[in-house]
Amino acid sequence: MHGSGKDYREKLKKAPSKDHGNGKRWRGALWILPSFLGVLVFYLLPYADVARRSFFGAVDNQFVGLANYQAILGNTAFRLAVKNTVKFTLICVPTLVLLALACAVVLYQSKYGGVIKSAFLMPMALPAVSVALVWRLLFHSQGLFNYWISHFGMEGRDWMNGQGAFWILVGSYIWKNLGYDIVLWMAGLSGISENIYEAAKVDGAGEWKCFLKITLPNLKPSLYTITVLSFLNSFKVFREAYLVAGDYPHEGIYMMQHLFNNWFRAFSFDKMAAAAVLESGVLLVLILLLQKAWDSGVE
Amino acid sequence: MKFRKLKRAAGIVLSMALVLGSLAGCSGGGAQESGDGGAGSPNQAGSGGGKQAMGRFLEEDVTLPIVLSTVYDMKKLEDGTIRILGDNGDNGARTIWDSKDSGVNWEKAFDVPAEIQDQGDGYVDHAALSSDGQSIWAYNKIEDDAITQILYLVSKDGEVSQVPFELPDAKGGSSKSFEDGEETGDGGAGMVKNMVLDLCFLDPGQVLLKDISDIIYQINVGDGSVAHTYDFSGAEDTHQIYMAGNKLVVATSTEVLVYDTETGEQQQTEEALQKSVSESGMLTAVDTVDAGESIYCLTGNGLYHYKFGGSVMEQLIDGTMNTLGAPAFYPIALTMLDEENYMVAATDLNSDALGGITLLRYTWSADTPAKPDKELKVYSLYNNRELRQSVSKFQKEHTDVYVNYQVAMSEENGMTVSDALKTLTTEIMAGKGPDLMLLDGMPIKTYMEKGILKDITSLFQEDSGSYFENIRKAYQDSEGKVYAAPARFFIPMAQGGGAYYTPEEDFASFTSKQGVLANMQPETVVEKFWYSCGASWQKEDNTLDAEKVTEFLSQLKNAYGEYNGSAIEDTTAVAISEGGAVNELQKVSLSWGDFDLAFGRVNVNVGLYGRMDYGMLDAVNKKLGQGDYGLMPGQAEGVFVPAMVIGVSSKSAQPETAEAFVKYLFSPQAQKVSQLGGFPVEKESFRSMVDGHEYDNRDSDMRLMAGGSAAGSDEMLSYEMVPTPEEDIQKITKMVESFSVPALQDDVIKESVVEQGAKVLKGELSPEEATDAIMQKVNIYLAE
Repeated sequence: MHGSGKDYREKLKKAPSKDHGNGKRWRGALWILPSFLGVLVFYLLPYADVARRSFFGAVDNQFVGLANYQAILGNTAFRLAVKNTVKFTLICVPTLVLLALACAVVLYQSKYGGVIKSAFLMPMALPAVSVALVWRLLFHSQGLFNYWISHFGMEGRDWMNGQGAFWILVGSYIWKNLGYDIVLWMAGLSGISENIYEAAKVDGAGEWKCFLKITLPNLKPSLYTITVLSFLNSFKVFREAYLVAGDYPHEGIYMMQHLFNNWFRAFSFDKMAAAAVLESGVLLVLILLLQKAWDSGVE
Repeated sequence: MKFRKLKRAAGIVLSMALVLGSLAGCSGGGAQESGDGGAGSPNQAGSGGGKQAMGRFLEEDVTLPIVLSTVYDMKKLEDGTIRILGDNGDNGARTIWDSKDSGVNWEKAFDVPAEIQDQGDGYVDHAALSSDGQSIWAYNKIEDDAITQILYLVSKDGEVSQVPFELPDAKGGSSKSFEDGEETGDGGAGMVKNMVLDLCFLDPGQVLLKDISDIIYQINVGDGSVAHTYDFSGAEDTHQIYMAGNKLVVATSTEVLVYDTETGEQQQTEEALQKSVSESGMLTAVDTVDAGESIYCLTGNGLYHYKFGGSVMEQLIDGTMNTLGAPAFYPIALTMLDEENYMVAATDLNSDALGGITLLRYTWSADTPAKPDKELKVYSLYNNRELRQSVSKFQKEHTDVYVNYQVAMSEENGMTVSDALKTLTTEIMAGKGPDLMLLDGMPIKTYMEKGILKDITSLFQEDSGSYFENIRKAYQDSEGKVYAAPARFFIPMAQGGGAYYTPEEDFASFTSKQGVLANMQPETVVEKFWYSCGASWQKEDNTLDAEKVTEFLSQLKNAYGEYNGSAIEDTTAVAISEGGAVNELQKVSLSWGDFDLAFGRVNVNVGLYGRMDYGMLDAVNKKLGQGDYGLMPGQAEGVFVPAMVIGVSSKSAQPETAEAFVKYLFSPQAQKVSQLGGFPVEKESFRSMVDGHEYDNRDSDMRLMAGGSAAGSDEMLSYEMVPTPEEDIQKITKMVESFSVPALQDDVIKESVVEQGAKVLKGELSPEEATDAIMQKVNIYLAE
């Protein structure tokens, strides 16, 4: 791949006219122009406006300097939302990625893997409203879950209004996204040549050693994609949390999206802008770090 | 090779077309929207192309030389005379008046003969006119402890004759007995075997009447014989009858059936009429100008025209732009003078006239814009009937203003408050928000702090002595500026016997009486006391005082005692709330607990009071023996509940018109409108609502028996419909003057307190646990 790129550049160098080479380069730029214009108009310019607004008042549009940043950093609701969101992400994403990998490896080796894989995808097809309804039926203080555990002599509680709410949210996220990640991992697995495994086995490598030395290194490029997608999907869990518990759920599941949602309702665009700039900065750093890890994996 | 340049150029052009096409797709919508001039009324057709459509019906009042307390019918006769049948409000005489100049001048034709006048032996509910000036009267004659129906025909000149027709007994033999005008059950005194519920004149010489079992009889007035019957007994919906030429139009809330009165056969279903009625609302009055080829009809949405066999029902007048769409406007008769002029006789409950009888004329004005030049957008979360009524009256006085009243939440759209507020935020920030907002249920203080509301202080600097300034300026900020002002208010009130309640006692001593609040719905009790206590919970740093919340819940639990679900089920309040659509304010109103208190199901009645009903207060006090009423005890003192809180958007496109409308809403004319939405802040209007002046002329022995029961028992409570004694007027006025603190109007905190508080009253949580749960949620909210 690299070799072919090098050949191409050499061909360019040997081109009879310098202008002709530049033309080719600009021709490439022209082809990405429509897409770039879309990104510019719908993402970059609005983002620049958000960044600008983070230094201005919400409705009066008066310059306030860093006051909005100071306000949100001193805001207990913001700190709680950040804490919960970070905690949720740190627990959920690694758990999901590893669990999906384990399932994918097992399914890949099973002759019924294809069928079972489809079953894992079912939760993704369920509308968030249906999931929320099931949650309510299950985890209400007089819900099915309490009824089941009462058979074991355990006392029921209002799960969505206690510390259990966070773990229900974690379970829901993993349940819903496991199938998708399994599919992605299995796609990665299918890209590894059987010849490598056969050669390793001829050299006396066992299953575990093959997994550590062949499977994992070859899945490294998939890791980046799966992690980023799992991370982005983690934001979607807000829908279920919102549908079940509304604007003000138990403090354990009060996420950034709840805060943004409520700030929007209260015209706190100044705080929203400042928080959005901070959050996008953190996300950018995280994604760059992941990309760097991916690049090193490719090399 | 020779096509390379062409290909390259084509590639570039296509790319640019793609980009420009996508951008144009976005901008095109905006251009189109601005061209339309925003959301418009149904009359905006033809407004495209930048040319304003012209022509609109204008409304004006018609005045008669006498005041009519009742109108039975109104019709344009063959000779062009407009004739009206009614009761003279001065002496009660049934009378007929004519106008020969389209309602400008009126003269009495005659008072109807003595047989039909009220002589203590009967009464008239229905009468109808024919196009040649005859009238038919259904007289309910009371004799031998029974009520019989007699039909009298009165000629154009006033000669009376009895129609030899005997109304058959109601289908199913379901006779009912009445005592003093109220139904009491089967058998006994005042038995009624059937009644006339609707009456129409069918020319020539026939009338149609509908009885209580929804059977319509087509009767020849000459010999009383029945030409046809139309049987709708057994149907769930009530059927109204109207005549159009020789067609009988039978309407319910969902369908319209047309019959040929010559054959008695049903005609082909008018699909377009059917469809339009289901969308536009039930027909309330019908007339024709072309012998039934087409009909003009009124619904709550305005005036419509429909040609039989046609494909569309055309709206001629948008009811939202005049009185036709007002909430308490009930048309009695529609009289088409010609295609460009018509009159409506109606009962308008907010009219100053006796009995609310209103006569209106609508005239086509070709040089008036179809849609007023100015559009004032008014927004509220919940439907407000007082506002709707005021919109009608304001538009009548300002024909250049179209008030577009938008209600965010309805049973149909299922929207939550949170969703509605987010939509409102989007619209305001996009510059498409309302000009004026009714802030009930909205975060008023947040909107004030964020600069969403305009400073309207200047509107409240005049006539300060005419208003309860302690209420009108409840939201005045520390600099004396007013951004929001309540036009109405509720009084948190309590009523009870001496053993349980003493006016002016404090919350601690009231709640120390264990069980004083027993047998009430836990959620309702918490919500009611939230109003009188919540205002004292908020600390200066904008957080809630947890100690006061715990104290509130503990004391309330003591007053409530043990939860008894079966006792609560027996209360009237529960029975009423299960009976049908109930809004949030009704659930916490004082009047819902009258019967429960009077008949001992509860010890004390508490709730919000927004309409003076002295008769009921007095009746309950008398039933209790030593009952009294006063302010609801609470942790905060001087608390009232603001209602109809008005604010003008700082981003309003019509700030001057919005301010003019605010001024109107605080004028005596708008303040006197009463639709159970609270007391007015204007003192004269307040007194007029409290003093019971409408009962001034009633006979001293006129009493009304009121019945009410939770479980079908025959509980009767008699009360007098008399003016409120001056002592009580002063008492309630002093209560109002003592108010200093608006109740905390924050749905997030209220919902949390009600949810957890109810669990405390039911014994599911301790006050401390409930406080923790409340604080956990509320603190996040307040920290945001």
